Amino acid sequence: MVLTPFDQLTADEKYDHFMERIEKGEKIEAEDWMPDEYRKALIRLISMHGISEIMGALPEKEWVPKAPTLHRKLAIMAKVQDEMGHGQLLLRVVEDLIQPLGKTRDHIMEDLFTKRLKFHNVFHMPAPSWGDAAIIAWLVDGAAILSQTMMLNTSYGPYGRALKRICQEESFHAKHGESLTLALASGTEKQKAMLQEALHRWWESLLTFFGPKSKQETGHTNVDIGIKYKLRTKTNEQLRQEFLTKYVPKIQLLGLSIPDEQLRFDEDTQEWRYTEPDWQKFKRIVAGDGPKSDERLALRRNSYENSQWVRDALRHFKEQASEHVG
Amino acid sequence: MASEQFYEAFEVFSRKRDGLPLEHRFSLTAPNKEMAYIMAKENFFRREAVKELWVVSRKDIRKMSQEEREAFQLMDNKAYRETRGYVDLPKKWKEFNHDTKVKEG
Amino acid sequence: MQREDMVLCELLYQLADDNFILAYRGSEWLGLAPHIEEDVAFSSINQDMMGHAVMYYQLLEELGAGDVDALSHCREPESFRNAILLERKNGLGHYLENPNYDWAYTVVRHYLFSVLKQIRLESLYHSSYEPLKQAAEKISLEHYYHSMHWETWFTQLMSSTKEARHRMENAINYCWQEFDGVISLGRYGKEICDHQLIVEEEKLRNEWLKRVCTTFGEMQFSPKTSPGMESGNGRNGEHTEDLTEALEVLSEVYGGDKQAVSW
Repeated sequence: MVLTPFDQLTADEKYDHFMERIEKGEKIEAEDWMPDEYRKALIRLISMHGISEIMGALPEKEWVPKAPTLHRKLAIMAKVQDEMGHGQLLLRVVEDLIQPLGKTRDHIMEDLFTKRLKFHNVFHMPAPSWGDAAIIAWLVDGAAILSQTMMLNTSYGPYGRALKRICQEESFHAKHGESLTLALASGTEKQKAMLQEALHRWWESLLTFFGPKSKQETGHTNVDIGIKYKLRTKTNEQLRQEFLTKYVPKIQLLGLSIPDEQLRFDEDTQEWRYTEPDWQKFKRIVAGDGPKSDERLALRRNSYENSQWVRDALRHFKEQASEHVG
Repeated sequence: MASEQFYEAFEVFSRKRDGLPLEHRFSLTAPNKEMAYIMAKENFFRREAVKELWVVSRKDIRKMSQEEREAFQLMDNKAYRETRGYVDLPKKWKEFNHDTKVKEG
Repeated sequence: MQREDMVLCELLYQLADDNFILAYRGSEWLGLAPHIEEDVAFSSINQDMMGHAVMYYQLLEELGAGDVDALSHCREPESFRNAILLERKNGLGHYLENPNYDWAYTVVRHYLFSVLKQIRLESLYHSSYEPLKQAAEKISLEHYYHSMHWETWFTQLMSSTKEARHRMENAINYCWQEFDGVISLGRYGKEICDHQLIVEEEKLRNEWLKRVCTTFGEMQFSPKTSPGMESGNGRNGEHTEDLTEALEVLSEVYGGDKQAVSW
């Protein structure tokens, strides 16, 4: 309860009041006072999440028309559409956070094109076969579901509401991915090989999906701020362990091999042991130096620039219309 | 190049079924309300029924500030406007009943 | 196959292939539309239209033409019955590389097609073939939104900037040269109408011109000629290289493993 008008509080008092709200489990809304560090962390987290959804449409895009049957064509179209839809929800959340800084969606796009805004490591990777479409839908989405579910209770209200919608749709994606995988795993030798090769291609990216364990590996991590402000509740490693527990037995059940000889569940520590991935490579990929980074950014930039006239035209139409209505 | 002014934000509301109230769904950006409307339909109702759909430009909405949200709280002295302020009624009726019976007796 | 069934199948192929191929062209835009919200809206339309194609292919399957996936993935280009305008690429480039797609062309092509589709559906409500009539009634439920979506885009871009107007008029002129191929019922058109499966081409054309020109009028635009069919008649199996390439993409995985029984 604030007795002095809020704008007359000192910076420290405002901060204490803010932290009190966070501790109580209250949700912060877009127009509320928030420390710069919190706003920055949110912008960073949610813009990366949002733009990853949008860039995530591109590796799967190739497989939309190529999907083998009408049913699969429809399902993957719906799935990739949802990714774009998730991007929409998340960018909306970011737009409200950057508005006080005088920025808009256009700035988010510019930051993407200049590689200031990073997108998720998995979306820098090639997806050369239909088997990749299956592995992406089953395991990349599976990993995404774990990290998104973990953030459902985030202290930032608008992000939580977006995640709620996203997680509801992800449950369809999980089924879609499982269905693609099971069809290939029970198919011809050629189909099985397609799936196996894709799993080998994706394993390292899946292992790095949740990010490095702690500060030692890459020099910095944003997990601590995330936990301090209750943006998230689990560490990267906890999520990775959950992922392995959930999926390794299933992968083995399908008779697929995992390209990591060290991989095993350690009964003593109750943890999965795995070969430490190359975190320097991970860092380079996220910085925009992955096998498909430039190609996908070029595609995105090309479409954005080609349709600038459309966005300009609609703005113009709006002005005309409001004259009539006004 | 980033334009100085991007599209407006519109808030999207819908009623899922007859008999339910309108609820807020999410927001989107659009150049005008006709575009906001056609985009809202597929951005938020691809899987759920929609009996009523509103898009409202955010600039027409007076929202609450944080201070107001924290200040607007109910005090616990409003029993007179709630049914719980009138729990003595059955007892009153009983007494009335009793009085009548006494007279008859 | 009875002559009557053959004629019915001709019409069903036209309806199915039109929706299938234009839905495919639409799906190439996925992730590339001018506005993220529009990307999502457009994708729904593409899914709906491919769903409509599936319904028509199912009617063909019931008539013994083959299963829906074989019908959509294994036919040779010359057995496709879609209009040529609907198979044409979205612009220069490829959906995975330098897609210099033209949004004005997409809006105009979809808008003009959505008006004709509406008229065809209204006519199909009275089709003598009951399953087709039922399919048309279902499809029209979704088509309402499509019409509204494209009309909004069409009218807004026609009345905004000079550049937009210029691009839109170019697109209209291009589509106009081919649109008679969309209206056409092909070489069996007369028999199709004799069996009261759908109304005559002439009626479709007049009604379409009436509706389209009303909207054009509101936009102070009038076409100088009647719609043409310059690149040939897709209803008779005439197609361009664009269709051949499209079918290669569409059937790459399906045709890549002949032994596969399930995908």
